[in-house]
Amino acid sequence: MLQVATDPMHQFKVEWLFPENAHWIVGGYNITPTNSALWMGIAVLFILGFFAWSMSRPKTVPDRKQSMGEIWYGFVAGIVKDVNHEDGKPFLPLIFTIFSFIFVTNMFGMFSGPWGHTFTPMSHVAVTGVMALFVFALVIVIGIFKNGFKFLKIFVPSGIPLIILWFVVIIEIFSFFSRPLSLAMRLFANMLGGHVALKVFAGFVPQLVVGLGLLGGVMAALLVMPLLISITALELLVAFLQAYVFAILTCVYLNDALHPGH
Amino acid sequence: MGDDLNERIAKAQAELDAQARPATKEPMGKGMGLGFRMAADFVAAVIVGAVLGIGIDALLHSSPWGLIVCLILGFITGVWNVVRVAQSSANTPQDGQGS
Repeated sequence: MLQVATDPMHQFKVEWLFPENAHWIVGGYNITPTNSALWMGIAVLFILGFFAWSMSRPKTVPDRKQSMGEIWYGFVAGIVKDVNHEDGKPFLPLIFTIFSFIFVTNMFGMFSGPWGHTFTPMSHVAVTGVMALFVFALVIVIGIFKNGFKFLKIFVPSGIPLIILWFVVIIEIFSFFSRPLSLAMRLFANMLGGHVALKVFAGFVPQLVVGLGLLGGVMAALLVMPLLISITALELLVAFLQAYVFAILTCVYLNDALHPGH
Repeated sequence: MGDDLNERIAKAQAELDAQARPATKEPMGKGMGLGFRMAADFVAAVIVGAVLGIGIDALLHSSPWGLIVCLILGFITGVWNVVRVAQSSANTPQDGQGS
């Protein structure tokens, strides 16, 4: 029991929602939902429900619920306008979806309740990797679609002497292909690391109480709990910040695709 | 009458688009976000270099030279990425971006 309670990696285990004999097999593929899929679905439903509720009966002068939705929208629209200016408008729905999805799944991951712990889908590189590859592929498709052959200018910065240009082009190609990796890795590593750190420090509390009794309880209350509260606050900030960074980098990469060659 | 309204809406929209977005309050932890970007951009470039080097070595049986060359290129790319993020944030402190 204590083993499960203090094992920091247990929270990342992907499990089928249904027992073995009730799996959904379609065309040879097992598409049974997992706890990861469940929490992603809940996040999507929450976003849809939140905005439906927030924008029901809209008024010219927004009330509280409408303000929440408008601030949320205005924040993302501000990012897109800052980075992409006027060309960014067609991509606003995409950026908004990406930001909201990451933000809400991360925020849900910070909570637990009677259902046990909430799964954090963004702590798995499979989820963040697919999102990063999608952005990467989108940048290439849009770049080629909008600029054709000129898209390759993205690898050739202007104003570089010809002698070192070939070297800079190699570096730029490396840099271009490191983008999806850095996108996926940053999000997944931060969410994984933050949750492990939280769980490890939280594990100190039962360990101290079991190991040292009353003295341990006092130590846990005075030393561990303040630390735990501050780490929780930090993780809430990181959960938001990762969504923000992912959204802003998607904008920056799209901007490169629309205007290659700086 | 309807055309008139549409015209006025288009005009108002154009005016709205033209005006610069007022400098809103910076989101909390913006510097931290920049730090995350730099760290991940640096590490990702090195990993790409390593993977590419191992791949070239496996294809051309040139071990360890592909790995050595690509890893060095990866390091250079990583430093270049960090410099670029720092430069773009220093040039336009207003939005932290720029191209």
